[in-house]
Amino acid sequence: MAQEDNNLSRLVITLTIIGVISALALAVVYQWTTPYIEEHQARAREEAIFSVLEGAVDYEESTRNGITFFEGFDEGGNLVGVSFIARGSGYQGAIEIMVGYDPANDEILSISVLNHEETPGLGARITEEEFKDNFANKPIGEYELVSREPTDPYEVETIAGATISARAVKNIVSEAGFTFEEYYGGGN
Amino acid sequence: MNLLKILTNGLWKENPIIKLVIGLCPTLAVTNTVENGLAMGLATSFVLISSEIVISLIKKWIPNNVRIPSFILIIATFVTFTDYFLAAFFPGIAESLSLFIPLIVVNCLILGRQEAFASKNPTHRAIFDGVGMGIGFTWVLVLLSAVREILGMGTFFGFEILGAAYQPMIIMILPGGAFISLGVLVGIMNVINRKVESQNG
Repeated sequence: MAQEDNNLSRLVITLTIIGVISALALAVVYQWTTPYIEEHQARAREEAIFSVLEGAVDYEESTRNGITFFEGFDEGGNLVGVSFIARGSGYQGAIEIMVGYDPANDEILSISVLNHEETPGLGARITEEEFKDNFANKPIGEYELVSREPTDPYEVETIAGATISARAVKNIVSEAGFTFEEYYGGGN
Repeated sequence: MNLLKILTNGLWKENPIIKLVIGLCPTLAVTNTVENGLAMGLATSFVLISSEIVISLIKKWIPNNVRIPSFILIIATFVTFTDYFLAAFFPGIAESLSLFIPLIVVNCLILGRQEAFASKNPTHRAIFDGVGMGIGFTWVLVLLSAVREILGMGTFFGFEILGAAYQPMIIMILPGGAFISLGVLVGIMNVINRKVESQNG
């Protein structure tokens, strides 16, 4: 390594050159990977819509009061349900959940976790069926976390060792119910 | 040191985790499942080997005063590349490692090898060092995560192996379990090492 020639301009030039080359290389990588990443996100969103609106074969976006709702239709063109993306904070980052509703009965159909940064193996278990099934066919309302088998329709069974993440999801879904009623129903 | 020695150096004698005890942040954080441990090991190895190659190639032109920022720039470039690459082609792994991928930048194992080896050695030797250290880092991560996943969840690589009757020790997949299992592992390695040394001596 060059020891003697440490004048300022040389230092600046070296770092600039490395920075520019790095930036160019990353621009190329970004161009190359972005379509794939966007495709995954779009596919994940679409899968989430169909998974929370069971029986839907097609969906339409409908923006009401600034929130995008996804209306799912079955083969006969009947409305199966309506979903939208609810957001909130989890244990160490944002959680995004697709929540599907049956607008006729004011009930949740089911939920699907789109994005989260919960601890792998612990909080990340909010994505497992066992936990998500808690919310299926629940009436819209404020839910409560319990550490036993739920007996009341507003009770949600927690995840052992991941109470904070489970509570975060419970809060987001509770909140989402009110958002749905206010913005989707009320916006008509 | 011949090339084979450089390669095997990282596997045991100067193993980054159990001997040099560096790079502990990802070691403790993501070793709760074997899948995460293996992915982190491979991602770190890729960054380590690539930056060792680049730095050993351009070491002549880097002034001594700015060598650390230069190394960090190069390492960060490869880490960002890895981040995009995993998000594009292995979205499942990218999702479960999430913020620990960008944090590879500050893994002191990587900067440490640039300082200690790549900036002082020709490229072909740097490659062997990177591969050896990378494998050395990965195997300890995989062993540690295997112990933690089996005891903490009763599964290995996601497959149930201990049966439904097993009551998982949740502590093992929590941060506390990482310290306990790493401590026990380093202890066992030291015992083995002492045995080997006393036999040789």
